[in-house]
Amino acid sequence: MTFTDLGPVTALTALFVVLCIGWLPTELWRMLAVLAARGLDENSEILVWVRLVASALLAAVVAKIILAPTGAIAAIPLWGRIGGVLLGLLTLRYTRKSIVVAVLTGETVLLLAGTFGR
Amino acid sequence: MVAVSQTASSAEKRAAYLRGLRDAVDLPVLLLMATMTSVGGIVRDVGFPAWAGTLSTLTIWAAPAQVILFGAVGAGASIPATAFAVCLSSARFLPMTVAIMPLIRQPGPMRPLTLLAAHLVSMTTWVEGLRRLPDVPLNLRPSYFFGYASLIIGAGSFATHVGYYIYGEVPLVVAAMLLYTTPMFFSSAMVSAARSRADWLALLFGFLITPLVMQVVPAGFDFLFIGLVGGTLAFVVFRRDKVKVQS
Repeated sequence: MTFTDLGPVTALTALFVVLCIGWLPTELWRMLAVLAARGLDENSEILVWVRLVASALLAAVVAKIILAPTGAIAAIPLWGRIGGVLLGLLTLRYTRKSIVVAVLTGETVLLLAGTFGR
Repeated sequence: MVAVSQTASSAEKRAAYLRGLRDAVDLPVLLLMATMTSVGGIVRDVGFPAWAGTLSTLTIWAAPAQVILFGAVGAGASIPATAFAVCLSSARFLPMTVAIMPLIRQPGPMRPLTLLAAHLVSMTTWVEGLRRLPDVPLNLRPSYFFGYASLIIGAGSFATHVGYYIYGEVPLVVAAMLLYTTPMFFSSAMVSAARSRADWLALLFGFLITPLVMQVVPAGFDFLFIGLVGGTLAFVVFRRDKVKVQS
């Protein structure tokens, strides 16, 4: 069963796709988490571990967007994608951790790489 | 110190909700809106109506899952395989939501509002919630979080809708810059929030082992693998550091 088998897009197929194929498989984890978090203390050690797992996971999400991009980012040369994040993070050291400056720096590198890089 | 059992008056709750709304008008919401315009663009490309994209932001509330879903629709992929891929990509919400719930929920029996709070957890509300909630009095945290998150999800839905009509019109470099807000914001927010050596190591491990793991572990499982390995290695360091401090 593929999406092509659903035929032309109707309101009903769109609703089915968004809610059954998108929402349910995502929401499942959030609801499971509510159950798993019951009785956990804010300062417990297992919570430290869970938070570190989540941090490593989000770092991997960032790394994958940069190293194996989909969509428009794929058109930017690799040095621009990596250089933007590295230079942006470097500015945090010199700006009292201004995230605005870091993001703008990274975006500028990406713009330059996309304009002149190829 | 605010007493834990003290219940807040409705006026206090309303004030906390409004403060959450106001605090949400900041850089993160703009960056999330940039990302969500690209989701709207994909929705249009695959021939779905605009409302379906907007609804996907309100319900799925996870840009990577939305991209996988609509990308699969465009490719005419298998429906069960897509549901599975979406499910794997969203598995990060398990550790993320477990980590933030103790900051939000109130003592006593579980309420429907707790489930709504869990629904509102996304990368943006997680990073900002962990940073902001500890400073909010315990009994006002749900109200504050609802205020903060409702502005973020509302703006994200609006941006998805707008993106449906404009994303296809912008030059390729600008489209790339809109997508690039995601890695830029999350890397800088997480690095600036890192306090302990373990925090740093979790980020570093997660980042550095990704290129290797990507080659070996099938897509979808790679994040889970990296999260568990990187997070556990960092936790081992956390334990060792704690023992050192105590002795």
